[in-house]
Amino acid sequence: MELKAGYLPGIKADNVDWQTLTYDRGGQAIDVSVPLLSEEQMKDLSARIKEASQQYLKSLTVSDITATIDAAVARLLDRKDTYRQQSEEYLPLITGYDAEMIRLGLTGYLKNFRQPELRRFIAEDFMNPKILDEFQPLPKGGYGKAYGPDLIAHIWAGNVPGLPLWSLISGLLVKAGNIGKVASAEPLMASWFARLIAEIDPELGKCLAVVWWKGGDVDQEQALLNQADLVVAYGNNDTLQQIRDRTPITTRCLTYSHKVSFGMISRAALDTGKAWEVAHQAAYDIVRYDQQGCYSPHVFFIEQGGAVTPQEFAQFIANELDCFEEKFPRRALTIEEAGDVAAWRQSEEMKSFSEGNAAIMSGASGAWIVAYSEAEEDLVPSGLNRTAKIIAVNQLDDVPARIAPYKAFLQTVGIAGPPEELHRLAGLLGAVGVTRISALEHMTSPEAGWHHDGRFNLLDLVTMTEVERSAETAAEAYSNYVD
Amino acid sequence: MTEAQIVEALLDFIATDGASDDEFNALALQIFAYQFENNAPYQRFCRQRERTPRTAQNWRDIPAVPINGYKDLTLSCCDPKNAERTFMTSGTTKDGVRGKCHHPTLSVYDTSMVTAFRQRFMQEHNKLRMGILFPTEETMPNSSLAHYLALALSEFGTEGSCYLLSENGLDSDLLFAELDRAEKTGEPYALLGASFSFVHVMDEMERLGKIVSLPEGSRILDTGGFKGQSRELELNAFYDLLESRLGVPRKQCINMYGMTELSTEFYDWGNPTCPSVKSGPHWIRSQIVNPLTGEELPKGDKGVLAHCDLAHFNCVSSILTEDAGIEVDNGFLLLGRAEGAEAKGCSMAVDEFLKAAQG
Repeated sequence: MELKAGYLPGIKADNVDWQTLTYDRGGQAIDVSVPLLSEEQMKDLSARIKEASQQYLKSLTVSDITATIDAAVARLLDRKDTYRQQSEEYLPLITGYDAEMIRLGLTGYLKNFRQPELRRFIAEDFMNPKILDEFQPLPKGGYGKAYGPDLIAHIWAGNVPGLPLWSLISGLLVKAGNIGKVASAEPLMASWFARLIAEIDPELGKCLAVVWWKGGDVDQEQALLNQADLVVAYGNNDTLQQIRDRTPITTRCLTYSHKVSFGMISRAALDTGKAWEVAHQAAYDIVRYDQQGCYSPHVFFIEQGGAVTPQEFAQFIANELDCFEEKFPRRALTIEEAGDVAAWRQSEEMKSFSEGNAAIMSGASGAWIVAYSEAEEDLVPSGLNRTAKIIAVNQLDDVPARIAPYKAFLQTVGIAGPPEELHRLAGLLGAVGVTRISALEHMTSPEAGWHHDGRFNLLDLVTMTEVERSAETAAEAYSNYVD
Repeated sequence: MTEAQIVEALLDFIATDGASDDEFNALALQIFAYQFENNAPYQRFCRQRERTPRTAQNWRDIPAVPINGYKDLTLSCCDPKNAERTFMTSGTTKDGVRGKCHHPTLSVYDTSMVTAFRQRFMQEHNKLRMGILFPTEETMPNSSLAHYLALALSEFGTEGSCYLLSENGLDSDLLFAELDRAEKTGEPYALLGASFSFVHVMDEMERLGKIVSLPEGSRILDTGGFKGQSRELELNAFYDLLESRLGVPRKQCINMYGMTELSTEFYDWGNPTCPSVKSGPHWIRSQIVNPLTGEELPKGDKGVLAHCDLAHFNCVSSILTEDAGIEVDNGFLLLGRAEGAEAKGCSMAVDEFLKAAQG
């Protein structure tokens, strides 16, 4: 079977320049064809998507749209469905992640997009969801309606399967036309989702497209940026800076940069009965998608004074990582990734030579690495791919000051601690830039309707048209019932 | 073994025509035992890697220290105060901290250099008139390359060989006088120096519209890459330029690959095609490894170069470089510095974080 990525409504496959990407993550090699549009084709596609969005999508109610998305997601959750089956078959080969981890991950993730959750999504951002369908009274007076853009350009990054669906579905919910550029690291999931939508509602299928170009290909990117009404881009700071610089000044550009997340374990969670379970949960967050997510933890701050010492707890995590390696083995690393992990281990090793209680624990062939330290260390990312730093602290309240300098890079904190501590720490962490606090074991699966990097997934996409009170009042003067 | 015994064994080893696997192994393991015993930080490193002279059966078993280790650890069997010479790394990474390689005696380094240089660069010549495109040893006493080139000049340069860099940079008058002289007399000429200095020479010649054709037998030795000291040139373009501006065929343009953390250099047999095959003399061996596991990769796979240089007896013989390479017949291809992985997910990588955090 030939695997084709991309989804291009209105363009004949024969008229497109297809390129082949080869994936060989230590198992079976696999080829995927990806479409490379000409600038002219990109322009035409944009125009058609815009028109379809104006003519059709804008005429649907939000309920119509959620029903279609729900139907598509239901199929992706159904293990008898061909889309689901190909996801389970091919995504492990493309990304290298363990097949069972992907299967479980997809189910957990896609559940967030069933109809009740989609409603939650909308309710998070719009007190009155009908404001997306028709003018609604506003609390300040007058009326307002929220309009999604005619064309959102999504520039996706990353190899975590399914992540593009967040912004693609957000775009659909606000009735925007969408063209998404998939990353070479995982080009399939968004393409399949678009085709599914088109199967369920062919007219809606004309309102979205999935394209590809090689990262850094300026001409392709510029062609899309010029046409978009709104740009949503993911990537590292350099990439995002370039995209923002190339986005026309009248087009809004929403950027999501790489982030660092970490965990905090209170001494209250470190009694001999609970500590193993806490370590298991922490290890799970490390293992899931090999720390490739912005919500994946790099560091754990462990409070001293519990029955289990931070050093013992580091051993617990190491042990749990070793067990997970049996269950969900880490994907095969490229030589470059192996180099990064090795460099991190080397630098931790060097530090450990000069610090009394520091220790490095490692799985066979470096399948996971835990570095333990009692020094006053700052927050620094780990080497990724199942490497974590465990830092002992006198008290968790000291941590916010240590991470404060890195405000721009912070995202999720997983906390294991009692309620009063959770709420106190939440206040301190929020003040230094943390945008999400979750339980351990949930760091990598944000709940439906979460505010990615603290922003509003839907509200950030729309513009409001307001009819002010004055217009209403003035209109009265011209009515046929005026006295 | 004592230091004196190691030195004596090494000088004998270098003087032979070659070495079998067993002979190389035997000396490598003796030197490992010597370093393990006399170099406490290295011993700690080996114990961390769960390797001691008892458990090492083969030179491949000797733990290779990442070259960054030189910046954090004092890796020397002799007291650094007693070293005849200390070479320092260029300090381009890691907060400008420079790694130090102490040499209790330069006799092994010099013998290693002279022996291999004669075979690989001089070839049919005993002496050549030389021009050096690098500062003198006096100007840069901690540079192993300055010492290397000084040695080339004193051992193999004819009278009249000279340095072509002055305090103000390239002495183009002297350079062009030398090139013109070679052209006129027909005496083969050797130009040696840092790769980036050659770029400066090429740029200057282009500015002046100058082209020379050095006599047959002339040769060039460049080393070290461009390192941001000149514009970056693709290797084929670089050697094309040398050939067209200086009239030295690419086959006679030898690239030397060496580093402060070694006492032996690698050479290619000219650069008619790039990347060229590099190899070293019989007292150094290399592996292409996975940098994380240290495991040797199958021939043809890209990995990171690890070297075991017996001549670097006082520090550590086995090092893990940051250079990418591929094993081929009769040597390896050097593919430049091993780059970090491009972030695949949305999780931040160390390099990016440090760059961003420093603003």
